[in-house]
Amino acid sequence: MIEFEVPEIDYTRYSNRQLAAVPLAVLTVALVVLASAWAITGSPVALGIDFTGGSQMTVQSDMSPAELQAAFSPDPVSVQGVQRYTDRYVLTFSESNIGNLREQAESAGLSVLGSGSTPASFGADSMRIGMIGVGIAFLGMSILAFALFRTFVPSVAIIVSAFSDLMIPLAVLSLLGVKLSLGTIAGLLMLIGYSVDSDILLNNHILRRRGEFYESTYQAMETGVTMTLTSLVAMAVMAILATFFNIQVMAQIGFVLVIGLAADLMNTYMLNLSLLRWYKFRGVKR
Amino acid sequence: MNIRDNWRIVLLAVFVVGSGVALFAPVAGGATDDGGLTNLQYGIQLDGGTSLQAPAVGITAEGVNVSVDDETALAQNVSAAVSVDPIDVRVSARSQTVEVFSRNATQDQLRDALIAEGYQPDSVRDGVTQQTREDMVQVIQDKVQESALSGGSVSTINGIEGTFISITAPDRDQEELQSLLDERGVVRIYAVHQNDNGSFVQDQVLRQDDFKSIGFARKDQGEAVVPVTIRNSVAERFQQEMVEYGFGQARRCGVNRDSASNVSDVDDYCLVTTLNGEVVFSGGVQQNLATSFANGEFANGPNFRMTTGQNMTQAKDLEISLRAGRLPAPLDFDNARVQSLEPSMGQEFRMDSLIIGIMAVLSVSGMIYLRYRDPRVALPMIVTALSEVFILLGFVALVQYPLNLSHIAGFIAVVGTGADDLIIIADEILQREDITTDRVFQNRFRKAFWVIGAAAATTIIAMSPLTVLSLGDLSGFAIVTIVGVLIGVLITRPAYGDVLRNLILEE
Repeated sequence: MIEFEVPEIDYTRYSNRQLAAVPLAVLTVALVVLASAWAITGSPVALGIDFTGGSQMTVQSDMSPAELQAAFSPDPVSVQGVQRYTDRYVLTFSESNIGNLREQAESAGLSVLGSGSTPASFGADSMRIGMIGVGIAFLGMSILAFALFRTFVPSVAIIVSAFSDLMIPLAVLSLLGVKLSLGTIAGLLMLIGYSVDSDILLNNHILRRRGEFYESTYQAMETGVTMTLTSLVAMAVMAILATFFNIQVMAQIGFVLVIGLAADLMNTYMLNLSLLRWYKFRGVKR
Repeated sequence: MNIRDNWRIVLLAVFVVGSGVALFAPVAGGATDDGGLTNLQYGIQLDGGTSLQAPAVGITAEGVNVSVDDETALAQNVSAAVSVDPIDVRVSARSQTVEVFSRNATQDQLRDALIAEGYQPDSVRDGVTQQTREDMVQVIQDKVQESALSGGSVSTINGIEGTFISITAPDRDQEELQSLLDERGVVRIYAVHQNDNGSFVQDQVLRQDDFKSIGFARKDQGEAVVPVTIRNSVAERFQQEMVEYGFGQARRCGVNRDSASNVSDVDDYCLVTTLNGEVVFSGGVQQNLATSFANGEFANGPNFRMTTGQNMTQAKDLEISLRAGRLPAPLDFDNARVQSLEPSMGQEFRMDSLIIGIMAVLSVSGMIYLRYRDPRVALPMIVTALSEVFILLGFVALVQYPLNLSHIAGFIAVVGTGADDLIIIADEILQREDITTDRVFQNRFRKAFWVIGAAAATTIIAMSPLTVLSLGDLSGFAIVTIVGVLIGVLITRPAYGDVLRNLILEE
C-alpha cells in the first residue's frame, strides 16, 4: 500500500543562501525565458485567439487533416485531432468572420458541432481587461498579506513567492508554445488565491505561535504539503481528463494550476522559508 | 450529543436539506418541468445554443441644443444630409443627442450636417446612447422570447472599448440567431393605386407604431394569416386614405407576391406590406372590408387580417416583427464575439464534465485517506467536502444561474480549497498532545480558523476582479468560486470542527 507522509527535511543542513538559491535561479530562468520571448516575438507568451481575434470550429468529418486544411480559404492556422474521436477535429483560424467559415464548412460537407469567434478589437480589449484583472488581484493579495502580518519581511516573502508562482507557469507556457487564453487568465487568478494559502500557513505557524522554529516549520509543512498536493492532484485530474474530452477551458485552468502549485511547493518551502528564517534569527524586528 | 453544542452541524444539515429541495423539488418553470432530473439550468456550453456579444452600429453627437418641437424636422434634415433612411436618425431633446445608425455615415458628415442646421455639437463619437441600447435590449428580448422555445437572455456588458449587447439563445444555432437579429423588422404598409395619369403609385398608409395589437400567426383555411388591430387615433385617417386611393370598393390584387419583391414592382390595386423592404404581403381588399371603409364603420372597430399566402414562416416573421418592434440600431456582427454549440455536443460536455468532477472528488478523497488512514477523520472530511459542493449546487439551482464549463472548473476549484481547509482544521486539532477539555479545542479551532479565514480572503480578493470585469464567461467561474469559499468558511468547515470535537471528546 502506498504510504503518504510528508518527509521531514533537515533544514539546518542548508544555509539561507543555499535554500533561496534554487527558487531564485528558477525564477531568473523563467524571467529570462519570458523576456527573450518578448524580445523575439513581441509578447512574453504567445497569444491565443481569445486575445488576437480569430475563430475556432469543432467539426466532424472523415476527411484527413490535410484535406480539411485545403477545404478552407483562408487556410486554418491549425487542424487538431480530438483525442477521443478519430473523426473529430478542432480548426483554428486567424479570421474572425465565423459565419463565412461555417458556410465553407457546410459546403465542404463537414458537420459543424460548435464554433466560436472573437474579433480582433474584442481580443485586444480582453487582453487589457485580463492584465488589469491579474494586476488588481495581485495588488489586493499583496495588501492583504501586509494587513495580515504587519511586518515587512514575511509579507514580502509571500508576495515574492506568489510572483514566482505566476511567472514559472507563464514561462512553461511560453517554452511549450501553449497559447494564452481566457482559461489561462482564470487559472492565474485562481493560482494567486491558492498558492498564497500555504505561505500564510507557514508564516502563521512560525510567527504567530510559540514553539521552536524547526518544529513549527515541520508542522506547517505537514499540513501545507498535504494541502498543496491534494489541490494539485485535483487539478491534474481535471487537466488530463479535460484534455482527453477536449474541454479546453478546464484543461487550460488545470494546466496552469498544476505547474503553479508545483512551483509553489518549491517557493514556499525554500524561498519563503529561507526569508523567514533569516528574519527570525538575524533580521531586525521592528 | 446536544443540539446547542452542535449547532454548526445542525446548520450544515439544514443547508444540505435546503439544497436538496432547491435541486430536486418540482418548481414551476424549473428544468424538472422539461424532464430534467434537477432544477439546474444549463448554459449554452452544456446545452447547446448560441451566445453573441456585439456593439451597436451608430455614431452619436452630444450636446446638441435641440428643442422638443424641432426634433422631427432636424431628424429629417439630418437624414437627407447624410443620406440615410429617416428611421436611422434619432434626435432626442431630452438627452441633447443626435444619433445616426448606419455604417455609411461618418462622424464628419454628422457634424457638418448639424452645423449646417445651426447646431454646435459638443462632441461626435462612435457608438449609441444608453437609451438606445436599453431599447435594443428590450426589443431583442422580445424577439428572442417570441421565437425561442426556452428563455434566452439579453443584457448589456461594459468593455473598455465601449458597451456591448450580449445575447444568449439556448435553442438557436448561429445562423438562426443572426438572421433573427439581422432583421431589423421594419414594417411598412403601402396602398398601391392609380394616380390621375393612370400610372400606379405607392403611398405609405401605415407604419409600425400605428398598430395597437397583433394576433398570433395562424393557418386559416390554408392561408397563413396575422390578425391585427390598429390604433383608434389613426383609424379615421387610414379609412379616409383608403377610400381616397380607391379601396372603398373590393379590389383583387392581381400581382403574384412571389414575383414582386419590391413595392415599386406592384402595378395593381393592392395593399402591400413590406418587412425590411421586402414584400411579404400583397393583397386586395375584400368586399366587407371595403364596405366598412366606405361607410366609415371600419374606424369603429379597426381590425383586419394580413395574409402571407401559404407561407407560414413569413407570417411568423411578420408577426414577430410587428410585435417585437424594430431594432433601433443594427448590431455590428463584424465586431461580434459569437459562440455556438450543437445540443449534442452540449450533452456530451455535460456528461464529460460530470465525470471530471467525480474523478476530481475521488482523487481528493483518496489523497485525504492516504494521509490520515483513519476513516473516522477522513470520512467526515470527504462527506463535508461533498456537502459543500452539494450546497453550492443548491445555490446555483436556486438562483437559476445557467451553468457553463467554466463553472464546473469553479466547482472543482471549490473541492480543492475545501479539502485544503479541512486538512488545516484536522491537523490543527489532532496534532500535538491530546485535547482534554472543550476550551483547548475551542482555542485550537480558532487558530485553525484564522488561517482558513485568511486563505479564503485571498481567494476572494484574487477572484473578485473577474466578477466585475467582462472577460468571456469567466465571471461565472469567479462567482462560483467565491460563493463556494463563503459557503465553506461560514457553514461546512465550522461543522467539520464540531464533528472532530465529538470524535475526540468521546475518547
